[in-house]
Amino acid sequence: MSHKERQPMDSVDLVSTDVLIVGGGPSGLATAIHLANMLKEKGESKRIMLIEKGSSIGSHILSGAVVMPEIFKTLLPYVDFNEIPFDSKVGKDDTVYLSKESSFALPFHPPYMNNAGNFVVSLGQLCKYLAGIAEEKGVEIYTGFAVDELLYENGKVVGAKTKDTGVDHHGEKLANYQPGTEIQAKITVLAEGTRGYLAKGLIKKLNLDNGRNPQIYSLGVKELWKVPEGNIEPGRVYHTMGYPLNYGDEFGGGFIYGLSDNRVALGLVVGLDYKDPTFDIHAAMQVWKTHPFVSKILKGGKIIEFGAKTLPEGGYYSIPKFYGDNFMIVGDSAGFLTTARLKGVHLAVCSGILAAQTAANALIKDDFSEDELSNYEKLFKESLIYKEMYPVRNFRQAFSNGLVFGGLQFAAQLATGGAGLFGRLETEADNETLLPTDAYEKPLFIERFGEKLEFDKVLTFDKVTDVFYSKAKHDEEQPVHLVTNDDMVKENIKKFTAPCQYFCPAEVYELHVDKSGHEELRIHAENCVHCKTCDIKSPSNAITWIPPYGGDGPEYDNM
Amino acid sequence: MALTIISLMKQVPLPSEMRMGEDGLMDRTKAKSIINVDCSFALEAGLQIKKQNPDARLIVASMGPPSFTQSLKKAISMGYDEAYLLSDRKLGGSDTYATGLAIATMLKHLGFSKDSKEPFIILAGRQTSDGDTAHVPSQVAENIGIPQATFIESVDYKDGSVVVKRIIEGGYQKLKLPIPCAISMTPTGIPPRRPSLAGAIKARNSDVTIFSIDDIGLKPDKIGLSGSPTLVAKVTNIVSDRAPVTICGGQTESQMVENLIKNINLGKSSLGDDKQKKEGVKKEKKRPDFEVVDFRNGASGILTWAEVTNGQVSRPSLELLTPARRLADTLNTNVTTLLIGKGVKELAKTLIEHGSDEVIVVEDDRLEEYRVLPFTSIFTQVIKEYNPEIALFAATTAGRELAPRIGVRADCGVTADCTALEIDEHIDRKNKRILAPVLESRRPTYGESKLATILGFNCPQMATARAGTFEVPAPDKSREGKITTITPKFNEDDFTVEILETVRGGGGLANLFEADIIVSGGRPTGEIDEMKLVKELAEALKAQGVNAEWAASRPAVDGGYAEYARQVGQTGKTVRPKVYISVAISGAIQHIAGMKDSETIVAIDHNAKANIFSNADYGIVGEYQDVLPELIEKVKAGFTFGIETKK
Repeated sequence: MSHKERQPMDSVDLVSTDVLIVGGGPSGLATAIHLANMLKEKGESKRIMLIEKGSSIGSHILSGAVVMPEIFKTLLPYVDFNEIPFDSKVGKDDTVYLSKESSFALPFHPPYMNNAGNFVVSLGQLCKYLAGIAEEKGVEIYTGFAVDELLYENGKVVGAKTKDTGVDHHGEKLANYQPGTEIQAKITVLAEGTRGYLAKGLIKKLNLDNGRNPQIYSLGVKELWKVPEGNIEPGRVYHTMGYPLNYGDEFGGGFIYGLSDNRVALGLVVGLDYKDPTFDIHAAMQVWKTHPFVSKILKGGKIIEFGAKTLPEGGYYSIPKFYGDNFMIVGDSAGFLTTARLKGVHLAVCSGILAAQTAANALIKDDFSEDELSNYEKLFKESLIYKEMYPVRNFRQAFSNGLVFGGLQFAAQLATGGAGLFGRLETEADNETLLPTDAYEKPLFIERFGEKLEFDKVLTFDKVTDVFYSKAKHDEEQPVHLVTNDDMVKENIKKFTAPCQYFCPAEVYELHVDKSGHEELRIHAENCVHCKTCDIKSPSNAITWIPPYGGDGPEYDNM
Repeated sequence: MALTIISLMKQVPLPSEMRMGEDGLMDRTKAKSIINVDCSFALEAGLQIKKQNPDARLIVASMGPPSFTQSLKKAISMGYDEAYLLSDRKLGGSDTYATGLAIATMLKHLGFSKDSKEPFIILAGRQTSDGDTAHVPSQVAENIGIPQATFIESVDYKDGSVVVKRIIEGGYQKLKLPIPCAISMTPTGIPPRRPSLAGAIKARNSDVTIFSIDDIGLKPDKIGLSGSPTLVAKVTNIVSDRAPVTICGGQTESQMVENLIKNINLGKSSLGDDKQKKEGVKKEKKRPDFEVVDFRNGASGILTWAEVTNGQVSRPSLELLTPARRLADTLNTNVTTLLIGKGVKELAKTLIEHGSDEVIVVEDDRLEEYRVLPFTSIFTQVIKEYNPEIALFAATTAGRELAPRIGVRADCGVTADCTALEIDEHIDRKNKRILAPVLESRRPTYGESKLATILGFNCPQMATARAGTFEVPAPDKSREGKITTITPKFNEDDFTVEILETVRGGGGLANLFEADIIVSGGRPTGEIDEMKLVKELAEALKAQGVNAEWAASRPAVDGGYAEYARQVGQTGKTVRPKVYISVAISGAIQHIAGMKDSETIVAIDHNAKANIFSNADYGIVGEYQDVLPELIEKVKAGFTFGIETKK
């Protein structure tokens, strides 16, 4: 990750920009648009460059999503609100408790779960729209480039570099080798989304998480279906609790959102702090779909798309320091998400706006020091993000200890303005929570559902079938982008029965057993949908996710 | 003067998104697009030449709608300097003949002609995934009047000439070409580099020059639908009648193999009635009462080419005599075969035994190996003298470059890679007439999902026929025919391309057509063990007395793990053994086309979502290196996939 001394013989392409934004999701695009707006108002002309690893804007974007629209009025003041491609206004909205066989709607919404006035959207489509606006304002957007290295000078970030391509499995240069491009930037904004690769390295290098709780995550596995007319109306929202999760052991629930054109977005989101090494969120989602409450909505329909994404759920106390000399971190990369609402899009956009305000002033003053960029934190403290995240700062931690305790805790938190019964609650990193398979005393996930784990390929799908619907692809000729520590992998096979084969929603990992009983982990990197669960959940950090070649990965259309 | 490299590039729809419009032409409006794969290899070949010749100028040129600019800009982001697009509504519906003419006219307009002072090399992809003809590079070369080399894997430019490696059936050739010349690249050399960010920034700030036909002085009468010598008469769906695959599961590879054996012994499942795709009920339009016009203008007879390799008439050229004979009998005319080579006269008899009425022999020491330029000259002279109504070539690497070059010189269209040839009449409703008797050339298209019928009304009506499609006619020793020896005139320019080396591997080709079981390996089987297990399985079957042979997919051949003669699939060959065992082949549509007529298909691949399983009877999902040893063991113990052994 650190800046390599450049050899005089290397021919490296060099470009420079005023602002470099890494990542073309809602936070990066909001940064770009708001910065362009502010600079225009101030009569300044600056170069803003946004780089996205997906083959196009939106192709790596996945969210539920129910979005709170207010923040877009701030981001797009010159735009007719009706022109924004929100799909459907939320209509009827229920939280439903599922038992094994039956279901009942809760007569009230859990706190923070009311969605009146919100919209059901395809975040990918929304981002495509935002990218169009950004380009109109002169932002240069380049898609299909992976940025895998931050450039440092005297320990300070001075830009980033795109990934070298034309390299074989072993890192040897091939005949079609194309060196990456160094981008020198006055300000680098990291908007890589959840578990950002550069942000992770930067946080570690500069100890930005000093004194913070470790970030913890959930994994959301989502499918988009087309269903017969009448199965669900656009804007209909359901959240489910209960089946197939064991409350107390697994934190999470399902979502079912009606979209236009008889489409329905649905998925299951589960905290990665579970202990069962065989727990499989993809499989759990398939089991969830067999519940009569869900299956009746899908009846007669067919899957259109599949995808998966992790969500930073640690909350306020897990937010790292999100600025420093010449850099800022926005959106999911900084952990801006209100877990109690299951929403982060509005906070991502908000953080982009704040970072843009900070950057605009810094550009005018030509001062990019930590001191100047600390305005970002000042703005943050007065912002929607703080107002939402601070009162529920202990929400997620409470549930790590089970629903009953969590419910009590959360009630106490609501009463006390967030402090709850014990003040600040700690989190435990997700890769430390698994119990060895032998030591897990309750029934293992793989034993809980019997034949429900046989998928019929009509209602329920195995992982490879689902991956087909993510349209994921990766160039075979490149270093494997899932870097394993072989000793740790062996240890994980022995102790935890290779948990990656279960937690990965895309069947990247296969535990192969040959005739002699020899066990070996095989990696099918081509299946990867870039959710980064393996980077988060592998015990002893046995697996590290690095960005593959730009343009590789899923090809989401409407996720 | 500095060298200029001109890469011809076509943008194509993603193969998975190909759709066809009502008119039978490609609907390009909805599909996501990419640079045609073969063309991207040509782009890389240009960049490689530039590596050695840093002052070379890199030009990329294309013909198509304005949306092609995105791919031209991608070429700039890979390292090209200038981009040109010929874009004009009047070009819509152009066939390959018209396309070759239009592109050549644009290049001449840019100052690149036979007599240019400026040295240049034209690079192109071998063929496009949405057309699959491989015609255009030959036609551009002929229109400009420069030498060509097609099916090229590597290019080396040194001291004013170009040395290339040309893939031929069963081996390769090294050729040395003078410049200017045109070269078409197979997707087997150096894969295209990815754009760099710096390149993308450059592309963003550069313009693509767009020409109309007026800009380059191209007359509309020879382009577009009306100017093209061929037309698409109709397109029908190709319907598969294979039942869904039976996946043979199991906890271990040996269980999977046991399961496979059990299933094979049970016999194949057949399609239920409900699953049978309904054949579209065609309403027979009444034949209108138009005047029947014989468009042939006095042309008559069928001309075929007898390709000679290793001193023998190649099998595909003998196969060609089956449709040729049938067409001649329908038309009540003769089959004349052109036989060119060194000391080949003896072979004339074989051709007559297989159905030729007359064999024209051309002998010349310089023609021991096929060479496109002198062969084009000979054919043109023979066509002029004999005035045939139909000319047929086997769709080999030679046939596929020779036919289009002759077509340009003789002013007629060519239909590539046909699987059926029939005589019919064409109802020309616009001009209220019936044109007859016309050659209907049928070829699979749009990723082998459709069968297009293509007609041309300039004689000779030319077509190339896919190897393996027709049976070799039974020889009749008593057949008599005429043998004519001619001495054509050559231009010395016809011999400027030097053959440095010709290498042909033994066997494979003929055996594949006759084998009862074919074991075919994909690229991983080459990469992992150089096809050792694939060969072992074939050997084990042979040892059991089964007529078995091994073959390879295009990527495996491209990777150098098997000779071209063993390639199954498009531009390779069509095989139809009793059992086809596909090992680690994902099942690209082109491969499927080459093996889908096999009686029973067994697929082994690690990827359960691989397309091969949609086209197989039995499937095992697993790593081939684990499955094959189990299978080989079973074969050694007597399992032969239900094939009777000669033991």
